[in-house]
Amino acid sequence: MAARRTRRITGPDVSRSTVARAARIAELLQYECSILLELYREKESFTADILVDGRLVSVPPPSSQLDTRDKLWRLHSALLQCRSLLDRAIAREEEELGGGKKGDYETQRKVVKDRLSYLLISTGELLKTAGGPALLTPNLEGLEIDGPTTLFELKLWVHRIFKEVDYWTKMAITTLEALPSVIAKESMMTTRVRSTRSARR
Amino acid sequence: MDTMPHLSVNRSSKPNCRTVWLISVLVGLLAIHTYANDVLPVPQQVSLSANMDSQQLSISWLAGAATTFDLVILRTELDETVLSETVSVMVSQLSGRHEWNWTSVEPLECTSLSIKIRSREGQTTSEWSNTEILQGSDLPSEENFQIFPLDKVVPVGANTTFCCIMKEGNQFGKIRYGNTDLISTRLSRRSYATTVFNQGLSSSSGSNVICYDNTEQLITGVAVFVGYPPLPGDFVCETRDLTSTVCLWNERRDTNLYKSRGTRYTLNNRPCALEWSRNPQKEYRVANWEGKWTLVAVNALGQYSLTDSAKLSHRVNPVAPEHLTSVVHALNATVLWQLKYDGYYSLALVCQVELTSQGYKTKHTFTGVGLRSAVLPDLYPYEDYSVQVRCGAQQNFWKWGSWSETISFKTSSLVPESPDMWVWMNKDYTGQVMWKPLTRRQSRGLMTGYEVTLWSPEEHLQHTEIVPLDIFAVPINLTQIATVSSDNMVMATVTAKNTEGVSQPASVLIPLRLTDVDPLAVSRAVYTDQGFSLFWQSDANATFAYVVEWCNASCKWNCLVDWINVAPGNTNVSIESANFQPGVRYNISLYSSSSEAPELLQRWQGYMQELVPSSPVMSLLTTQQDSDILLSWEQIPLVSRRGFVLGYNIYMSSGSQFTLLANLSDPGSRSYKVKSMPEGSYKFTVKAYTSAGEDTGATASIMLEPFTDRLILEILASLGVTALFLVIVTFICYKKRQWVKKAFYPDIPEPKLPGDWSRSQAPLDVKPPHHSLVHMVERPEWDSSKEALVVIPEEDEDEDGQGIGEALADTDEPTSLRYYNQVVDERPIRPRYPDSSDSSASSLDSARTDVTYTGIQTSGSFVFQLDSHGSSEGHQPQADPSFCAGGGGGYRPQMQSRVVSDDTGPASPNPYPDPEAASGGGYKPQSSWQMDSPVEDGEGGSRAPSLGSPTSIASTQFLLPDGEEHTEEKRQPSSSAATWLTNLLSSTKP
Repeated sequence: MAARRTRRITGPDVSRSTVARAARIAELLQYECSILLELYREKESFTADILVDGRLVSVPPPSSQLDTRDKLWRLHSALLQCRSLLDRAIAREEEELGGGKKGDYETQRKVVKDRLSYLLISTGELLKTAGGPALLTPNLEGLEIDGPTTLFELKLWVHRIFKEVDYWTKMAITTLEALPSVIAKESMMTTRVRSTRSARR
Repeated sequence: MDTMPHLSVNRSSKPNCRTVWLISVLVGLLAIHTYANDVLPVPQQVSLSANMDSQQLSISWLAGAATTFDLVILRTELDETVLSETVSVMVSQLSGRHEWNWTSVEPLECTSLSIKIRSREGQTTSEWSNTEILQGSDLPSEENFQIFPLDKVVPVGANTTFCCIMKEGNQFGKIRYGNTDLISTRLSRRSYATTVFNQGLSSSSGSNVICYDNTEQLITGVAVFVGYPPLPGDFVCETRDLTSTVCLWNERRDTNLYKSRGTRYTLNNRPCALEWSRNPQKEYRVANWEGKWTLVAVNALGQYSLTDSAKLSHRVNPVAPEHLTSVVHALNATVLWQLKYDGYYSLALVCQVELTSQGYKTKHTFTGVGLRSAVLPDLYPYEDYSVQVRCGAQQNFWKWGSWSETISFKTSSLVPESPDMWVWMNKDYTGQVMWKPLTRRQSRGLMTGYEVTLWSPEEHLQHTEIVPLDIFAVPINLTQIATVSSDNMVMATVTAKNTEGVSQPASVLIPLRLTDVDPLAVSRAVYTDQGFSLFWQSDANATFAYVVEWCNASCKWNCLVDWINVAPGNTNVSIESANFQPGVRYNISLYSSSSEAPELLQRWQGYMQELVPSSPVMSLLTTQQDSDILLSWEQIPLVSRRGFVLGYNIYMSSGSQFTLLANLSDPGSRSYKVKSMPEGSYKFTVKAYTSAGEDTGATASIMLEPFTDRLILEILASLGVTALFLVIVTFICYKKRQWVKKAFYPDIPEPKLPGDWSRSQAPLDVKPPHHSLVHMVERPEWDSSKEALVVIPEEDEDEDGQGIGEALADTDEPTSLRYYNQVVDERPIRPRYPDSSDSSASSLDSARTDVTYTGIQTSGSFVFQLDSHGSSEGHQPQADPSFCAGGGGGYRPQMQSRVVSDDTGPASPNPYPDPEAASGGGYKPQSSWQMDSPVEDGEGGSRAPSLGSPTSIASTQFLLPDGEEHTEEKRQPSSSAATWLTNLLSSTKP
């Protein structure tokens, strides 16, 4: 199974560069997300340790048994949900709390949204390379996609979404940094399988 | 109560009936009270109606005709009184019930409230009604963490109370508003309240009020929006299509409330469906013209109304013309457009056409019914233009409509304009024809080049040159065109060519005579903000124009000049050029410009900005004139002056310090004399200055030498005075010679000899030793304490000057040294005539005699010079014995004190070897010693000392030469005054 999946990786160099690029985007997103959180807390007078209960994104739990494709799929799926939540949060915020003069917060919010889209493109390419489905649609089932009704809870919900993006960005960095060694290892395994088959012939 | 005073009055007037009457009154009062209790109704059917948003509680009840009630509102849980008030409440005509409204400070959800009412009439009250309870949200059944009021909108400056209902089982922590912790009060077991006073503007997303439990882990909160009520303005309605209405207004104040909390508008009670926009300018369209409009702006904090009314014809704001086109010519163009609505075709319109060319905009206005075209005149050929149009109603003009879209076009070409030309002539009939490049507008098409023609009308010679586009000056040599004569002229013509043809020629007539005729005077031109302002006198009948030409004044050959043309009649002009540079002198010339040759009328010189000279004066020289110092210099070259030199400052510098000696305000100064300077070294600095200041200065040094001519003059004057003095003295002595003789040279009486002792006795065998001659030898080993000749320096002569000193420089001892015999008292030989007082006075007092002798000794020295051995050495001192011996003819004192002291010490260790030389020719005493004291040359001078020798007396006398004196005079024609005096005295001797 491993050999079959590894064969689908078209060249370790391309994968490594794609992974590296995705990791750089994730690092950038993580930095930009931290700025966004800071701006939002400043805007809403929230303290940094404000309570955030539970995760909004729903993905299978992490496991060491997961192979590269499953890890990429899990990451990509979580990031997709993040982007859906973020889109919705921005829309709700604009609809119910917006209208004022645009400032640094609004600019940074757009930056994070765009960067998250770039990261999704990169992880999507990696997932495709790893043999995953070409196109994933976010599973919004169970997501608190509409958010709360009162404005304060809406603000807390937006904050939770920003934290969720921040969390999954860090996860993306961790996952992507772990990928190159796996690819290299699996490339070696692919070479061995081919050698064995050649010897049998 | 009114009856009480009355009762007291009765009791005092009728005491017998008092008890009965009092009882009756008490019974009556009791009866009344009982009746009242029975009459005041207890409020029934108390009903509560709460408006949670407005925090208003409506209480209604039934209480018959009673109008005054006591109301009590308590917080149910803690039984704290919130309100206890007596109010007057009438029965509502509609419901037939008593109704009273109360607005709570706290949100009504905060905690349960108990309300009870009783009727009152005066002090009489009914029983309390049943207590009605308004349930709060802190009931045990509602366990959640809650906060009230929810998402409230309040005006700026309002006070708002918030309450927080803790989750069942959690302890209250704090309430924060923004970043501020607030002080809270407890309303019930789970409910806490706080009030925010004088609230400022919130953020656009609202300010947060957050309630924390004691762990600060559990929070809940609300957003509160603080803003302003609406304030619209500039409400006006107009029509653009002559049918519908467009109403416009703007928001004069940002309410800080947006989106769902933003301002809502109604126009004539119809909601305006406006899309949300931060743009304060609002516009709303209504399908028909109503003539009167009311705008109402509403938000959560209030509302504002505006009205407007007008006839349609007074509010026409046409839409922009459409589909613009143009018909273009070289000098004009026609712009055409279409009108959007048919109604405009019958409407009198005024339209504005804005023409833009090279960044400049001009507006042309046209009118007409249904106007749809306009002709634009006075356009430049071959020029790019852009045009846009807008229109308005000509009658009852309301405002300009919108601008149409812009169209562009380019006008056609024409032949170029005539170039602006000028001629610069050098002094040798060469020069250059110059012209200014045509501007794009002057070119009026695509330029191809220029043509320069020189034509001599008299000689019918013509020279034409085609010049490319990038050349604007052509050198000329008139001598190649025409013969140089004062009547001949050459016409220079320049034409420009473009694709359309050749321009009209521009020409200048050049006379074949010296063109650089300097005007009588050159004025100074002053540069101002507008450039060089020039003024000149003009003949009132003059019809010619002018040309003002300027160039760098330091340029003399083929100068790059600039010029402008001045219309006839003008007498002033300001010239400005981007090429003007500070520190450069410009020659500005005014020429007449007519069909005749240009004539120089006036000339100016000026600087755009004067600077300090870039170099100092040239060739600074210092010359000593006696004790004066003459400084001379040459002026700074024109290029380096960089300003009009106003004068010169003369400094004397010592080290780094400059001392101003003089300020020469005459710029033509070329020299300065520093007078009466003592000897020494001096350094002078000359700095020219302009209005901008001094230059760095030129420095020259001089060592002032002593003034030798004066010294010579002084010496000569001194000598002259001395000579004159001597002459006077001599003259006086001559005149008083008898007295002088008596005073200084009394006759020596003839010795009286008692008997012929000289013959009877043994012959006087005393011969002066040959060494009795004065032997003046300076010997350091000689003990000066002994008798000897003492050397005394003659200070007076030393002071006479160097001339004499130098003449004696080669001698071992100066001739001015005088020798005195200091041992006169020890002379062993006494005069042989002790009875002679005269002789004793003159001979015994040797000291005095010596003084007298000293005065004559000078002549002795001169006599010494008569040494026959050579006049060339006559000035040599006689200290040298060999010289003296060789001479033999010089004077030698006959008294030789050394004779006495010979045996005590060798005064003359080297006696003369030749005794004959010692006794040789010389002076003799005036007395007749020759007879009485015959000298034997051969022996007398070389033997025993001359004891009793008359030579000792002779030393007090003048020593006169004997018969050989004439010979001596011949040998020494330059005899001194002393010699002359001696001779004179000798001749007077009887």
